[in-house]
Amino acid sequence: MNLRGKIAIKTAKLVASLCLKMGRQGVTWAGLIARKIEPNILKLLSDQVREKVYIVCGTNGKTTTNNMLCTALINNGKKVICNRTGSNMLNGVVSAFVLATDKSCDLDADYACIEIDEASTKRVLPTLKPDYMILTNIFRDQLDRYGEIDITIKILSESIKMAPKMTLVINGDDPLSVSLAKRSGNSFITYGISEKVFDADENSEIREGRFCAMCGAKMHYSYYHYSQLGDYRCPECGFSRPHIDYPATGIECGDHLAFTVENRRISANYKGFYNIYNILAVYTAAAHSGVDMEGFQTMLDRFTPENGRSEHFKIQGTDIELNLAKNPAGFNQNINAVMADTRDKDIIILINDRDQDGNDVSWLWDVDFDRFGEDSIKSITVCGIRCQDMRLRLKYVDISSELEPSVEKAIRNKLQNGVKNLYVLVNYTGLYSTRNILKRMEGEQ
Amino acid sequence: MKITIGHLFPDLLNLYGDRGNIQCMVQRLRWRGIEAEVKAFGIDDRIDFSVLDIVLLGGGSDREQMIVCNRLKEIKDSFKAYVENGGVVIAICGGYQLLGKYYETDNGRIEGLDIVDIYTVQEKGRLINNIFLQSDLFEMPIVGFENHGGRTHINNNKPLGKVIYGKGNDGKSGYEGVVYKNVIGTYLHGPLLPKNPQLCDYLLSRAIERRYGAEASKLTPLPDKEENEANKYIVDRYSDKVENFKEKIRKLI
Ligand SMILES: [Zn+2]
Repeated sequence: MNLRGKIAIKTAKLVASLCLKMGRQGVTWAGLIARKIEPNILKLLSDQVREKVYIVCGTNGKTTTNNMLCTALINNGKKVICNRTGSNMLNGVVSAFVLATDKSCDLDADYACIEIDEASTKRVLPTLKPDYMILTNIFRDQLDRYGEIDITIKILSESIKMAPKMTLVINGDDPLSVSLAKRSGNSFITYGISEKVFDADENSEIREGRFCAMCGAKMHYSYYHYSQLGDYRCPECGFSRPHIDYPATGIECGDHLAFTVENRRISANYKGFYNIYNILAVYTAAAHSGVDMEGFQTMLDRFTPENGRSEHFKIQGTDIELNLAKNPAGFNQNINAVMADTRDKDIIILINDRDQDGNDVSWLWDVDFDRFGEDSIKSITVCGIRCQDMRLRLKYVDISSELEPSVEKAIRNKLQNGVKNLYVLVNYTGLYSTRNILKRMEGEQ
Repeated sequence: MKITIGHLFPDLLNLYGDRGNIQCMVQRLRWRGIEAEVKAFGIDDRIDFSVLDIVLLGGGSDREQMIVCNRLKEIKDSFKAYVENGGVVIAICGGYQLLGKYYETDNGRIEGLDIVDIYTVQEKGRLINNIFLQSDLFEMPIVGFENHGGRTHINNNKPLGKVIYGKGNDGKSGYEGVVYKNVIGTYLHGPLLPKNPQLCDYLLSRAIERRYGAEASKLTPLPDKEENEANKYIVDRYSDKVENFKEKIRKLI
């Protein structure tokens, strides 16, 4: 490492340790300071990674996918840099590299797994040159921050242009991701779920990509999984689901997940159809880049999605599952997972409207909450800053709910009076606080 | 009694929970024992305006509006006749812009329906935030969320309301939306109607009056506790940011 780089790293580390008591803020500061002292710091450090640099982008599933990839590599005895804390903007990314350096300010790493917020790619990719970008999917999300989905696609395609040698790992079932990859000129590999899994009603969800991204004509689906994901073909220009390099078949999706890829049977002990995509994305990126896949299943058996992604708690005899649900596609998938559990259950929904959540809560009306109208749902409590909006949303599908702005009170109430099977669905800024509350309550026992 | 709602091009114009506006109208009719039918029109479907009582024209991205724009040319005359004949229209965001003569964007001009004498020009910076208005159509403030890059100029037309908090049509005039005959155009998402039951009922009663007469259009009041509290939440949240708040708001529910 050059002298200026060393000063940058040492100063950043000092700042990070001073900020430690201030919590996550220190991570961002450390990254910012390192960049100010040595603008090229990200390139200098990422060049020291011996094998591959992966970045993970996409609307839903970034954190789970990135953490799982990281775990798979560590499981193979590799040294990996990862921005696990979810600091996925430029300074957080820089910080992950800087804070991983040793005393002589150098990296000892085989791989880097870096999650990047889509809007931040245009700031990261001028200096970081990854070998792979895993793009999980492109859904409508947090509208007021990005304007609209077209803007997200535009940012991503401009960013990808900055790294022409980067291979894209693309969800082939997502026409928006595929059209983006095709137009980029970068090489890409695909994964997908290559069989009909649901007898889905065509109109039950709003599908963003139902009009061909190439020519604007309405596309035909021979089957579809959710949102715009499925087997599509444009009757006008012929744009269609591409050849799938890593197809999953033999799908099981209920209390647990299982599928077959490359003649390997993969299973995971958690719920949610969308998690098949997350696992498949990790499998594809790892297998294609030459990682030994023998231990993949063992890794999955031990892997738990962190930070409130399908996280399980047992408190005072009540089974509690905490899950992030921050946009219609994610929420509908969560509702699927909840309804796959046929036991009686209580539901708590927390909706905030801070900047990271999206200030506009209109999206609540694009979620299929009517499916919570079944008898096995014993109660729904609405919490958070926009609990009033959530209660109103449910009223219009004839579901009554209990209003309790404080999620802690709501949880305690269900521990006392619930059916011992509780699902807590929260959007972004509610995640950490709710998780902390549950952790604390777990400790109180 | 039956009311038919036409949802224009939901495949393309369905940003920001427009589905909620449809759901709101349907439920508020059904809760009163009035039959409601929703006809969703695809871009290639033939539209018979004579069977429609309410038309919802939602928002889309600029790209999607461009696709719709070509189709609109073909239905312009029948749409206009429907409006002049007292047909009810609720047009939101992109749909509101399409009511006018044109929408001038950075990527070219989108020709509108020319139903109302208004026009829109894209300017730098989007106007994004919660917003609420005071309308003279009813007492309850109209609350919602605006998110638009276009600035709409309504000439001498009547606005939907005076902006109490937020930006409105062009960020300068202090007004939001437009009212022309039984047409309402507005930038407000939220979605608009569930949190503004008085606005929803206004549209419903106009539609019922047109088809079934003035007597039938007197709607049974509904227990709107949840609606009113969601509305009041937005108003309360910003009340201390508004000067002379009490004078500007005529009545808080
Ligand atoms: Zn096409």
